[in-house]
Amino acid sequence: MTLVLEFGSAAALVQAVPRLRRAGHRPVEAYSPCAVEGLAEALGHRPAPVRPVMLLAGLAGGAVAFGMQAWSAVYDLPLDSGGRPLFSWPAFLPVTFELAVLCAAIAGFAALLTACGLPRLHHPLFDLPAMARVSADRFLLAFERHPGAAGADLQDLVRACDAVALHEVTP
Amino acid sequence: MSGGTSSGAGGAAARMDRRTVLKLAGGAALLPAVACSPPREQIVPYVDMPEGLVPGRPRHYATALPLTGYGAPVVVESHQGRPTKVEGNARHPASGGATDAFAQAAVLSLYDPDRARAPVWRGAPGGAGEIRSWDGFLGALEGRRAAWDSTGGAGLRLLTTPVCSPTLAAQIAALLRRYPAARWDVWEPVNDDNALQGAIQAFGRPLQVLPHLAAARCVLALDADPLGPGPQQVALARDFAAARPGGKQPRDGQATARLYAVEAAMSLTGAAADHRLALHPADIPAFAAALAAELGAVPGAGMDAARGAAPQGAHARRFLAAVAEDLRAAGPAALALAGRTQPPEVHALAHCINDRLGAIGRTLSLVEPIRGGPALVAPSIAALAADLAAGQVSDLVILGGNPAYDAPADLRLAAHLPAVPFSIRLSPWADETAMLCRWHLPEHHPLETWSDAQSVDGRIGLVQPLIRPLFDSRSAHELLAALAGDPAATGHDILRAHWRERQGGGPSAFEDWWIAALRDGVLPGMAAIPVRPPAAVPPPAVAQPGTGDRAAPGFALLFRPDPALWDGRFAGNAWLQELPEPFSKLTWGNALQLAPGDAAALALDEGDLARVEADGAVLELPVVHAPGQAGGVAVVHLGHGRRHAGPVGTGRGVDAYPLRRSASPWRRDGVRLSAAGGRQLLARTQSHFRQHGRDIVREIDLAALARMPAGTDSLPASLYPEPPLPPGPQAWGMVIDQSACIGCNACVTACQAENNIPVVGPEEVALGRTMHWLRIDTYLAPPDGAAGGDGAAGGDRPLFQPVPCMQCEKAPCEPVCPVAASVHTQAGLNAQVYNRCVGTRDCQSTCPYQVRRFNFRDYAAGQAYANLGDPLYRAQRNPNVSVRPRGVMEKCTYCVQRISAAGREAEAAGRPLRDGAVVTACQAACPTGAIAFGDLRDPAAEVVRRKALPHNYALLGDLGTRPRTTYLARLRHSNPVLAADRTGGAEREGEG
Amino acid sequence: MSGAAPLPVLRLPPDLARAEALGWLTGTIAGPVLRRPLGRLWWLAVGLSLAGCLLLAVSVAWLFLRGTGIWGLNSSNVWGFAVANYVWWIGIGNAGTLISCLLLLTRQHWRASINRYAETMTLVAAAIAGLFPILHLGRPWLFYWLVPYPNVMDLWPQWRSALVWDLFAIAGYLTFSLLFWYTGLIPDLASLRDRARSRFGRLAYGLFALGWRGAARHWQAHDLFYRAMAALGIPLVISVHSVVGLDFANAIAPGWNESIFPPYFVVGAMYSGFAMVVTLAVPIRRFLGLEALITLRHFDAIGKILVLGSLVMAATYLTEWFTAWYGGATADRQLVAYRLTGGGAAVYWAMLVCNVALAQILWWPRARRSPWTVFAIAGGINIGMWLERVLIVTDSLSRSHLPSQWRDFVPTFWDWALLAGSLSLFAFVMLVLLRFLPAVSMHESRTLLPPAMPPGGRAPAGAVP
Repeated sequence: MTLVLEFGSAAALVQAVPRLRRAGHRPVEAYSPCAVEGLAEALGHRPAPVRPVMLLAGLAGGAVAFGMQAWSAVYDLPLDSGGRPLFSWPAFLPVTFELAVLCAAIAGFAALLTACGLPRLHHPLFDLPAMARVSADRFLLAFERHPGAAGADLQDLVRACDAVALHEVTP
Repeated sequence: MSGGTSSGAGGAAARMDRRTVLKLAGGAALLPAVACSPPREQIVPYVDMPEGLVPGRPRHYATALPLTGYGAPVVVESHQGRPTKVEGNARHPASGGATDAFAQAAVLSLYDPDRARAPVWRGAPGGAGEIRSWDGFLGALEGRRAAWDSTGGAGLRLLTTPVCSPTLAAQIAALLRRYPAARWDVWEPVNDDNALQGAIQAFGRPLQVLPHLAAARCVLALDADPLGPGPQQVALARDFAAARPGGKQPRDGQATARLYAVEAAMSLTGAAADHRLALHPADIPAFAAALAAELGAVPGAGMDAARGAAPQGAHARRFLAAVAEDLRAAGPAALALAGRTQPPEVHALAHCINDRLGAIGRTLSLVEPIRGGPALVAPSIAALAADLAAGQVSDLVILGGNPAYDAPADLRLAAHLPAVPFSIRLSPWADETAMLCRWHLPEHHPLETWSDAQSVDGRIGLVQPLIRPLFDSRSAHELLAALAGDPAATGHDILRAHWRERQGGGPSAFEDWWIAALRDGVLPGMAAIPVRPPAAVPPPAVAQPGTGDRAAPGFALLFRPDPALWDGRFAGNAWLQELPEPFSKLTWGNALQLAPGDAAALALDEGDLARVEADGAVLELPVVHAPGQAGGVAVVHLGHGRRHAGPVGTGRGVDAYPLRRSASPWRRDGVRLSAAGGRQLLARTQSHFRQHGRDIVREIDLAALARMPAGTDSLPASLYPEPPLPPGPQAWGMVIDQSACIGCNACVTACQAENNIPVVGPEEVALGRTMHWLRIDTYLAPPDGAAGGDGAAGGDRPLFQPVPCMQCEKAPCEPVCPVAASVHTQAGLNAQVYNRCVGTRDCQSTCPYQVRRFNFRDYAAGQAYANLGDPLYRAQRNPNVSVRPRGVMEKCTYCVQRISAAGREAEAAGRPLRDGAVVTACQAACPTGAIAFGDLRDPAAEVVRRKALPHNYALLGDLGTRPRTTYLARLRHSNPVLAADRTGGAEREGEG
Repeated sequence: MSGAAPLPVLRLPPDLARAEALGWLTGTIAGPVLRRPLGRLWWLAVGLSLAGCLLLAVSVAWLFLRGTGIWGLNSSNVWGFAVANYVWWIGIGNAGTLISCLLLLTRQHWRASINRYAETMTLVAAAIAGLFPILHLGRPWLFYWLVPYPNVMDLWPQWRSALVWDLFAIAGYLTFSLLFWYTGLIPDLASLRDRARSRFGRLAYGLFALGWRGAARHWQAHDLFYRAMAALGIPLVISVHSVVGLDFANAIAPGWNESIFPPYFVVGAMYSGFAMVVTLAVPIRRFLGLEALITLRHFDAIGKILVLGSLVMAATYLTEWFTAWYGGATADRQLVAYRLTGGGAAVYWAMLVCNVALAQILWWPRARRSPWTVFAIAGGINIGMWLERVLIVTDSLSRSHLPSQWRDFVPTFWDWALLAGSLSLFAFVMLVLLRFLPAVSMHESRTLLPPAMPPGGRAPAGAVP
């Protein structure tokens, strides 16, 4: 069973994470209307490998682009064009660059979606009415309660964390 | 079979309007089929050697194309029975393989869908006609012949142009013998009456001048235009090139002829001249007289007379002195030519000068008039007009020409014509004259005709048809036979009968002679025989300048034949309509040419409409500026403003004939000019003529050339490794000798005919769109001519520069093409792959020579101009050149189809391509051999020799495009005396 | 910098409670998007622009029917409005991404209020620009021959051609800016999903939101990708317009064959793009009620950028003239002379006034901070930049190396029709997109809110981060 604390400000949310840890609970994920500085780190999320993927894809795309041009211009269809050398590599660079960037962008987007597990049109959290305001002005923090914690402790916790409410999510 | 077509249609359409019927009869579906069948009769070598006929390989037949009473010797290329291209007849001295623009365009008029297709009878002349069959006409003719037999042909008149066919002349003579009371009259709007009358003055009888420019070392053209358009152009231009080694051996000490021109309006001769003096036409006789006196050719005080006479000031006097000195020095190698536009006295004076210098027999010969018919045409047509006015003409047969359009206005021929009860008009087109005659009979096109023709040098050639007549037409011979009562005779029989009689000998001998004559296109040893006349008699004293008509107020309006439409006969030919006038670059119409000074004084800018008034008669036409034209002179070209010239020619430009008088056909004095208000968008292919200090047309004085080291034209550096020549079997290149180019436009039309280049029409030209792959740029020499300016060097000497594709080795157009439609071939051609072209036009935008041509519209087919999309025209197209669709870029290919054809032949024969095996269309047509084309790898090739000449240079060479087409700088053989005279220009301007 | 006090980025309502700040922000931005009915003014604008689109359709149909001959092109001016329009549109199409990326990486937070609609503008403009090279072709139905694809003829594109580079640049750039724009849009689509009243709205927005939950993990990856794209976007934009410059620079026509062209075109693109951003800012903030978010601070900042741009443009013009004179080539010198004194000199001077003189007004702080003044000046710059493109294309071709081929370019009705049509299409698509998507990035402008607000306290008026 997952519990969700609802906050009115990002500051409260960020302060709540260590407090929960100290109380023996395990913060799982936080939800916010905008990026919150340092939140992911506080929750211990390791950054997804979006940029390495982009780098590799970019290099690969550029290599393929240059190879295609050089091969077609020198071997497959060698034409005398204005007395220029067949392997006029400087002329091949623009296309190479454009394709490199394009591949990096597309691969990066794919990596982003994978890292976020998107697209996923339904998620148990969406059953939570409070979730509707996360995209506007509310901050949620989902955590797994300490087995030993009692209901009263949780009420203190809500007050201590300056949270607005506490919800339960049943997957 | 074509007869069946039209007679059937005629029967079906007794009530229908003529045009509709012709459209029906045309029923274009049949015609292309007809177009592809050889003539019925035996022509050589087609029937005799069928084993020689390879499908896909063209055959060539020698024949001749008549122009103003002379036959232009040509060889016509025929693909499976379709004549597609005209070349000169190399076997004929008057052609040497070259042609003019008129001959090149003949194949287009052959397939003109507007040609008359069946006999037409008019109840009321001028009204709509009814289609009739030839039998119908012959029936009507029978009745008339009965009447002639009784009256001896009284009231029968025959009107022709001067006849170039001996056979036809003989037929007419026979007809006149049969009907003694009949008369033969001739008319030719561009006639040589003045020259012949000058000869009568000098020698007592009409003699014709045959100049031999090749033998001349100093030539003076007194308003004469030997290099200008006309039947003599090809022969004389070749002679002239021979006298001016220019590209050939410029420094082997051979004396180079010097050419002086004294003229009122800029002519091709004046443009080619080393020194040119612009004079008011009324001053030219005085100049001639002073010169003759100076040379002692006529009694007179020489320079004193000149000083007294010549009103043109110091420069003109210096000019006269220099000319006199040069002529005297040249002696028998001198030549003075007077133009047909000059009065008889000037011709007589020229005869005196030539006689005095002993030039007669050396640089010119005198011959009896070559053409058949009365020698002087003006009196002849006047007599006919008088008879018409008096109602004494009951029957009138008009062969050729177009008198209702081009006869002198004061004779009012067109007004009298309809009154003739029985008038017959034989012509391929329903022109102005046909409209006023009772009977219009369709005539063969020359390429459908059996005949014979005399060329300008008097040589006779046989005319054989290339194709069976497309329509239900007859030749003049056949009509004459019908008039003489033998309607069944065919042109072929008539011609053979005439020549068998003339040749004599046995049948087999005649057959051999006949076949040889047909093959060669010229009969052996039949040139005109020079006559040795008595010493030339000076003419009566010429009118002193400053007196007489010179004093008349207003402008002198000069009439000149149009360089493209001639006297108007070619108005229906779209190629010639779109052929740029050499100086104004005007197409599809004519204009009033004014000296810039006069135009400024009248506040007439180019394109402004001017009003031209000569007692009563009025013209309104746009103005173009004509640098180098004498002051007080306005020039207009004849041949425009046709009223019945088909969809292409009707109503183009302004008809100037109404202002022409039989008294002085070439000049109308006292003409009032004023601004008519309004402007007209000029359809010209070039409108900027200054070089703006750029190194475009180089001009070097002959004297300076000797001091030039070879190979001065250095190549700019390149980032890329330099192979001397790219690998490949050949390395094609071209050199164009600008000293030899006379701007005659033959190459432009030849290129158009060879490469299926479409016509775009006046509206497109006015928008600045053209399709000519080869254009001739005209620039004005810089005011202080690099090669020593003289009076005419005041920035008004035109320089011609033919510009095809330069076939650059570092072609800028190739790397920019995204689809590789513009690529380089092994042989160094800059090829354009039409099928691959998507039409980005980047190639043209980066071409510094801007020689590429884009199909903005579907000019070739879907959006063709006027009736040029007619299926019949397709028969003319060269099957070896693809027709380009809309949205595709095209360009000069060095006639790649000719290169590959020659290559295949050489391969089949197992020998290498020798120099001269490949001749481009422009090169073949050029009468002066200005264009050399060949393999740069062949050390013996003419093109290689020319490229080694010191004055060889690449156009815009500093851009590093490495053009394969290069130019020989224009050589000017200027006279040091005049070259020193740098103030003359201003002076002349001041006094013009 | 002007001596005046720094302006606030946001103009929050003075009595706005801290707790409501976020909600107020979301409401302000999402409000106009979700509001029903659509409003008469909007319908009117859409109607007008649709009429213009009809004109576009007609002129394109006529073009395909009759060929490029319907334009004022001639044998020398083989390029005309189509190319000029292309260059102009792609220039505008470069600015959004440039602004977005550049300002993001340089931490110009005020960017958050304008980057979204600037990117939208970029996308639409670039898409329209992409039409022209195809319409320009003599045989447009064969444009795909520029694409390398396996074909029976075993042919390839000619890689040395700048037009091929162009194809890849435009295609790549379009895809790139679409991704960039969409990535930034996802969280906002989620906001709209959660606020949409109609079921259709929830479905549509929900679908495109991809199920975005605003999880910390999402934000982390999103930020990584978004900044990486920004870093890639800048060189991409520069390359795209450099290639456009190379279309001209590698032809040897006088006035084209200059090494300054690529940077010159990039600056021109940024200049016209910023101008277009301001031109759009005024109506957008006015009609979508975003005065609180798009503030004088933005006009002030962009005004300064425009001044800088105008100076750089002036420098490039001077460089052109200098090199023409210093290079000594007759054709180049005479081209400059022709531009300054020849037949079309009036247009050239008008262009100089619009592109250089006009922007100098913006040295004056009060001018920068008066939206309508900046709007007027930016409009002038847009016109000036278009004139520049036209002159670049036509001057060199109509006054090339051989005077015999000098011809003037005279646009026809269809030239103008195509231009007007493309403007209408731009207007139409912008109207639709701005109506159904937030004109300002919600999640990014949320970060503009003063973080240090005392609990329950009032927002200090005009807090600046």
